[in-house]
Amino acid sequence: MAATVMLSVPGTLRYRDLAVSVVSEAARLVACSDDARDAFGTAVIAAFSEIFNNVAIHAYQRKGGGTIDIAIKPTDRELVIEVADHGNPFDLGEVPPLPSDIDEHSLPEGGMGIYIAKKMLDEVSYEPGPPNLWRLCKRLPGGVRANTRV
Amino acid sequence: MPTPAFDVSRSDDSTTLIVRGSLDINTAPVLADEIDRIIVDKPRFVVVDMTGLDLIDSSGVAALVKLYKGVRAAGGEVMISGARDQPLAIFKLLRMDKVFNL
Repeated sequence: MAATVMLSVPGTLRYRDLAVSVVSEAARLVACSDDARDAFGTAVIAAFSEIFNNVAIHAYQRKGGGTIDIAIKPTDRELVIEVADHGNPFDLGEVPPLPSDIDEHSLPEGGMGIYIAKKMLDEVSYEPGPPNLWRLCKRLPGGVRANTRV
Repeated sequence: MPTPAFDVSRSDDSTTLIVRGSLDINTAPVLADEIDRIIVDKPRFVVVDMTGLDLIDSSGVAALVKLYKGVRAAGGEVMISGARDQPLAIFKLLRMDKVFNL
């Protein structure tokens, strides 16, 4: 069974890069080839960064006051990341969808983070708490040989 | 707050904004001040050089959208050049690549 990496950081953006660096290394444990590693890591980092932003901004209102508890589970086929907080719950239903046809006049200035996370990952779920819990999952594409070294 | 790596050069009617490194929620607010100054200048043409930009998140995209809208509202044009790798993938994912001619 693969190990679970646990990380708990203060719920502010100051600690985002630290958390992203740990997730980035965990992503490298799952994907083996250079091509697969680059694409897999790019998707995971982009998505996780947006979710971390969301927690720090919406759950903790940019004030901190709690922790962001991250459980990272690399297996031979996927990377699962659980992000828990004890801040304000987030209403996914309030996130406006991206316009179906984006042109100069409909360029969005917000609401893109969740969209990016959903598009980059295979699964994104959220359960309001406490603790509020995001569950993110990225799988290796079919045919890519896994090389989990944990 | 981290300082984003960017340079701005101005000529009579055009402005070039060179962005490097990471444009994200921690760095975009600093760039936003420069973007406000560019918009106030009402340049006819703005080039955003992203050749050295390695990472962008939704906050970084929002900052560039603000620049685009502000310049266009004053009758100017914006061109993004040099987008590659993760930043290019994000713009394509958001279906903004055609708007910005990437």
